[in-house]
Amino acid sequence: MTQTHRGCPVAHTDFTGSAPILEHYRMLDEDREKARFLFNDTTDRGFLMLQRYDDVQEGFQQHETWTTAVRSALRPGLGEPLLPQDLNGQPHVKLRRILNQFFAPAAVRRMEPMAKQRCIELIEEIEDAGSCDFVKEFAIRYPTDMFLALLGLPVSDGEQFLEWSDDYFGALLAGDPGRAEAAKTSIMKYFDEAVNERRAHPRDPKEDMVTRLVQARIDDEALTQDEILTICLTLMLAGLDTTRSALGYIYAHLAQNPADRQALIDDPALIPKAVEEFLRLYPLVFQAGREVQEPQDFNGLEVEKGDVVWLGIAQANRDPRKFENPDEFDIARHNANQHLAFGGGPHRCLGMHLARLELKVVLEEWHRRIPEYRIKAGTELTERGVQLSMSSLPLEWDVEA
Amino acid sequence: MFIAIDAGKCMGHGRCYAVAEDLLSDDDEGFVAERGRCWELPADLVGQAQDAADACPEGAIAVTETAPADA
Repeated sequence: MTQTHRGCPVAHTDFTGSAPILEHYRMLDEDREKARFLFNDTTDRGFLMLQRYDDVQEGFQQHETWTTAVRSALRPGLGEPLLPQDLNGQPHVKLRRILNQFFAPAAVRRMEPMAKQRCIELIEEIEDAGSCDFVKEFAIRYPTDMFLALLGLPVSDGEQFLEWSDDYFGALLAGDPGRAEAAKTSIMKYFDEAVNERRAHPRDPKEDMVTRLVQARIDDEALTQDEILTICLTLMLAGLDTTRSALGYIYAHLAQNPADRQALIDDPALIPKAVEEFLRLYPLVFQAGREVQEPQDFNGLEVEKGDVVWLGIAQANRDPRKFENPDEFDIARHNANQHLAFGGGPHRCLGMHLARLELKVVLEEWHRRIPEYRIKAGTELTERGVQLSMSSLPLEWDVEA
Repeated sequence: MFIAIDAGKCMGHGRCYAVAEDLLSDDDEGFVAERGRCWELPADLVGQAQDAADACPEGAIAVTETAPADA
């Protein structure tokens, strides 16, 4: 690495391809230890990489001058409009205030009985089979159903909805706008009908998010139908693939580390702590992007207007300067909850408490019913780049005759 | 000891009140209900206050020997 850009060594690591499971973390860790800041030239615009915990945390706090005009350093040209992400400053704060109450811990606690019931139903569907593709038959179905419930829509639409959302998300990450557009049309039509139904038959706006969105006023103006549909689409994009991925990594870990699994079975009260440690160790969104709006000296790194900044979430979560033995799953880790898996600053993940609930409920209910399981012999686990996900995780367990 | 919660820095991660149940609470939007406040800590809650400060990914919580000058 003899080249430099903005005073940083230039790196060429490609984080967009498929690889054996956990390979991306190895690449990310390796880059973090090459230099404090790197310039990566594998995309058209390139990006300046912030990789250490302290820098990434501080980077999230530069929200007044580093905006979400770029949301992903790896896909800076992704034109798909998202709300509230695309807003910055006061307009962003105002829209988040409308949504926050449906994702706050208090609201999420109200969802817990339903979350539990749906989780149990899905486990019972596959329990007797003695095997399943955990990713396809469970890990994506559960958050899809929870998303529909959040919107006040019937979970019986789940299977159809899943087909569309999977197609859409896959096409977006693959950079295939034609296929993405086709899937998006079906999804938007479905949302459009749901929003119109709620306009005609409003529910309690304190409890029903779509009714609240329909009735909300920001500076005396209602949200447009397009804005509401974009919010629905954004929540879908943010909540489904991520939870599927998190569950995939967690179950791949537990299937291969029986001592960790036994600890959770013996004392389910440890599960919330385990969830934090899993979020730290296996962040799926391994980076966030920002676009610099004003020249600035950031801890010795000179950034210019228009630069793309990479906020290395996974690199921060696995930074040995912050977390001792960062590669190890340590359920007793005292500072696990300081991870940045959900980002930081005003754009921090809206759904973080719902995500935590979903992960906790799955770990509790699954292990109550299927405490012993293993990865099918001969399976080679692979992960997708850009935003980590496993396409398949075949699990097996013994069923009493 | 004093605790001060910076309302400008607080982004509603909800990690402080999760580790300091006897000291802090959440509001309807998920922010810590005490944000923007500064007060003297009872001796038995200093530990929880420190945990809350450590847990905040925004550095919004300060636990100090003396009352901050601008509070």
